[in-house]
This record gives sequence, C-alpha cells and structure tokens, in this order.
Amino acid sequence: MNFLSVQDIVTAYGKIEALRGVSLEVAEGAITCLLGPNGAGKTTLMLTLAGILRPKRGSIRFAGEEIAGRAPHAIVARGVALVPENRLVFPAMTVAENLQAGAYHRRDKATVRSDMEGMFARFPRLKERAAQQAGTLSGGEQQMLAVARALMSRPKLLLMDEPSLGLAPLVVEEIFRIVAELHRDGTTIFLVEQNAHMALKVAQHFYLMEQGRVTFSGDPGSLAEDEVIQRAYLGSVQR
Amino acid sequence: MLADFLQNTLDGLSAGASYALLALGFTLIFGVLRRANLSFGPSIMFGAYCATWAHVNFGASLLLLALITVSGAVLAGAYVERLCFAPHRGGSAIAAMVASFALWMQFEELATLVMPRHLYAFPMLYEGDPLSLGPLTLRVDTLAMLAAALAACALLWWTLYRTRFGLAVRALIEQPAAAALAGINVPWVFMRVFALASALGGIAGYLVVATHGQITPMLGMWATLKGLLAMMLGGLGSLPGAVIGGLALGLIEAHTQWYLGPQLRDLVAYLLLFVLLAARVPWMTTRSAS
Repeated sequence: MNFLSVQDIVTAYGKIEALRGVSLEVAEGAITCLLGPNGAGKTTLMLTLAGILRPKRGSIRFAGEEIAGRAPHAIVARGVALVPENRLVFPAMTVAENLQAGAYHRRDKATVRSDMEGMFARFPRLKERAAQQAGTLSGGEQQMLAVARALMSRPKLLLMDEPSLGLAPLVVEEIFRIVAELHRDGTTIFLVEQNAHMALKVAQHFYLMEQGRVTFSGDPGSLAEDEVIQRAYLGSVQR
Repeated sequence: MLADFLQNTLDGLSAGASYALLALGFTLIFGVLRRANLSFGPSIMFGAYCATWAHVNFGASLLLLALITVSGAVLAGAYVERLCFAPHRGGSAIAAMVASFALWMQFEELATLVMPRHLYAFPMLYEGDPLSLGPLTLRVDTLAMLAAALAACALLWWTLYRTRFGLAVRALIEQPAAAALAGINVPWVFMRVFALASALGGIAGYLVVATHGQITPMLGMWATLKGLLAMMLGGLGSLPGAVIGGLALGLIEAHTQWYLGPQLRDLVAYLLLFVLLAARVPWMTTRSAS
C-alpha cells in the first residue's frame, strides 16, 4: 500500500525550478531510498515534503490526506518527521531539551517522558549526555540526537536527509544499524543518501533523481550497483 | 565621596532596571525574528498615552493605569507584528524595519492628534518623602521600579526556561528551521513573543512615566533608543546580555551625570558603544541567545 504518494511536484526558488515534476511512492513499513548527484533536488524534495518549502504545484498525499503546502507543524502533527540535512540540533539547549522540543506538539506528558526513556535506552550515549548542551556533542552524537528528536514526535513516516554526511565510517555504520532497527520496529523510512552502497543494503526500493526529475525507480537488485553508484554520483547525462 | 558614589550607583541601577526591561523586549524580538523593531518604543508610548487619556478623562487608579499601559502596548505590538513583520517573515529585513519606522510616525501622529499638548502630568507612583538611610536618600518609587523590573526579569527567566512556550522561543532563536520541523507553530510563537516583549516594554514604560510624573510623545523615541543601546551594549541577541547592558547603561548615565555633568550623560554611553564596536569585543559578535 502506498503510504506517501507524490504526484508531479514542482518547487521553485524564485524562477528556478529545483523540482520539475517529481512523482514517487513510498510503501508503508518499507525503507525507500532516494539517490542522486549533488544539486539533483533531493534536499528540496525533503523540505517540500516537510512543509518548509511550498510547492508551486502538484500533490503530496500522506495516508490518504493531502499535505502539500501545509505548515510544517501541521505535517509533523499528521505523523511525518524530517531529520534535516546537517542535523540542525539546538546547540545551546541540553540534549534532554532537544528531545522535549521534538515532542512539542504532544500534550501527553507521561508518554512523552516514557518515550524519552525509550530514546535513552536506544541511544545510551545521549543518556550520558542528557544534561549537556547539544552543541558540545560530536557529529555522530548530534546525528543520533537529530534522529531521536524526530522520533520523539512519534512519526509514522520518518524522512532522513543525508544522515551519514560528514561522519566517520564507523559512525556511518552505526547510523545505518539504527535505520535498520527502526525499520524492524515498523517505522516507514524515506531516506536521501550520498552513500549509495550503504543505502542499497538497507532499502527495499530506490529512486534515482537527476536535475529535478526522477530518472529511475527499482529494487536494489534491478540495476548493477556500479551503474547505480555512477548515476547517483555523476548523473547519467555526463557519461 | 563614598556616599555620592553609592547614591549614584543606586540611582543608576534603578534606571538601568527599566532599560534592562526595554532591552529584553528588543532582544526577544530580535532573537526570534532577526529583525529590529523600531516601533517598539512608540508601541510603549501608545500604551502610556492610552493610560494618560484614561487618567485625564476618568481619573483612573494607579493599578488600572499600569494595566492600561501594558495592554495598550501589547495591542500596539500586535498591530506592528501583523503589519510590518508577518508579511516579511521570510523576506527582507530592511522592508520590515522601514515599515516599523512608518508605524513609529503613525503612533506619534496619533498621540499628538488626540492629546495635542506637549506635556501631560502622569500620576506619581509615590508622592511621600524619600527614605533616609544614613547619608543616602532612597526614593520609594525608584526602589519600587527596581523591584518590579527585577521581578519581571525573574518571571521572564521562568517563562523561558521552565515552560513549554519558553522551550519553543529558545528553539526558534537557536535554529528556526529545525524549530518548525520539531512541530512548533512558528507564526503563533512569533505573535506571542511580540505580545510578551510589548508587555515587558509596557511595564518599563509605566514605571518610567510614573516615576517622572509626566509624559511627552518623545517617550517612544526615548524607549527605542535606550532599548537598542542597552541591547547592543550587552551583545546582540543575548538575554542575560540585555539585562547586563541595561544595568550598565543606567550606571554609566548616573555616574557620568554626577562626575562629568548632564551634558555628557548620553554622549559617554554612545562613545562606549562606539569603542566596543570598533574593538570587536567577543560578546558583541555572538549571536546565540541563551
């Protein structure tokens, strides 16, 4: 069943169209991955899905409801959370306060507290640093915090924009271990990645995007990995 | 000698406490919106004029005058937010600032139109004799001003660090995009921040006119200038800095007036700001607000 259904989305910065009619589907319970070279429009798509950018036209249906052009907080309340590129933790707030902010739209104090305990169990490093300012964490820890903050909103669909960006290989493996874990627990994940090799290992389905358009869609086995990686990094146009 | 110094310090702190409130209002708006609201002072003036009007026509009581000043300032603040800042939220900072300057003129024109005299009397907070403590004279109303300003600071601190709304405000100051992604209703928080800042300004405005016993339309410009100056002295966008900047400005003014004469009173504060900006002291370039 299609959980998220994106139809012909156009998003522009001024007159420049970064998304030129993107259509794709994300299946419930699956990990779907979006690959493509820099400037393909992957982050623009994520920001449009999360409501930070307003599309010029097109439709975004989530669980049967139109969410295109809605305010970000309304989209979070419907169960879509984005882990943004570059993490964007609140640097001068403590780790615990960052998590509280992630649960902002929820009024159920008791379950928020038990969810926070759940995050600390899943990310023991965050528990050790609960009272520390988020800006003092390492890059990997900040990424964990950004993921945990998004999970605090109890999302049905988790959008992740380049979670491995700028992290050491060991930390990248840990991030992907967490992605696989979240998937096992039933969270639907839509992932943008530069690290095509790792992404194809966890994903059930992937899309390739180039110059604001989806150019390929398939299962990880449907195209040789070399081919995928070449098109993900360089695009098909340059060959 | 020592008595003079202590007396000046005390006077400076009481004036500084109201500057601190003005600077806190400015800082909240600047920190959350990254926009300077030039109409901040005139909104306060509008509130104080509403109170003066009520006093002249109905002879309202002290507490009621304080309430009218604060609600008038909040109302004017909401008007400024809707007209100048909501339309330019993602856009030009200059456009918002120029628009807020236009509303400044509007408030001043309105004030002089409805109440044409240059100066109106405002009921004093306390009209009895000052207290004496050894060589020091303590004016009861300035002490009340100091206490009220400190109480307002404490209440603001509690709001920012102990409530859900405060969490949203700090998140918005630190990382606006991430705040929206965390599910915070950003336009709604903007509105409430404006109301909160205007209320702080209204309290400061009331304390100032009620200790001076008079009001002129210049109150608007005065509040904007003092608030901006105190905010900049403490470092743009820092809340503790706003308090320190406000108190420092009060102390500088009180001591300059006593030792160098009233002509130099304002000049020294501007000179200090100039030196601090030229020397690029570290706290003036930080943008974090917590």
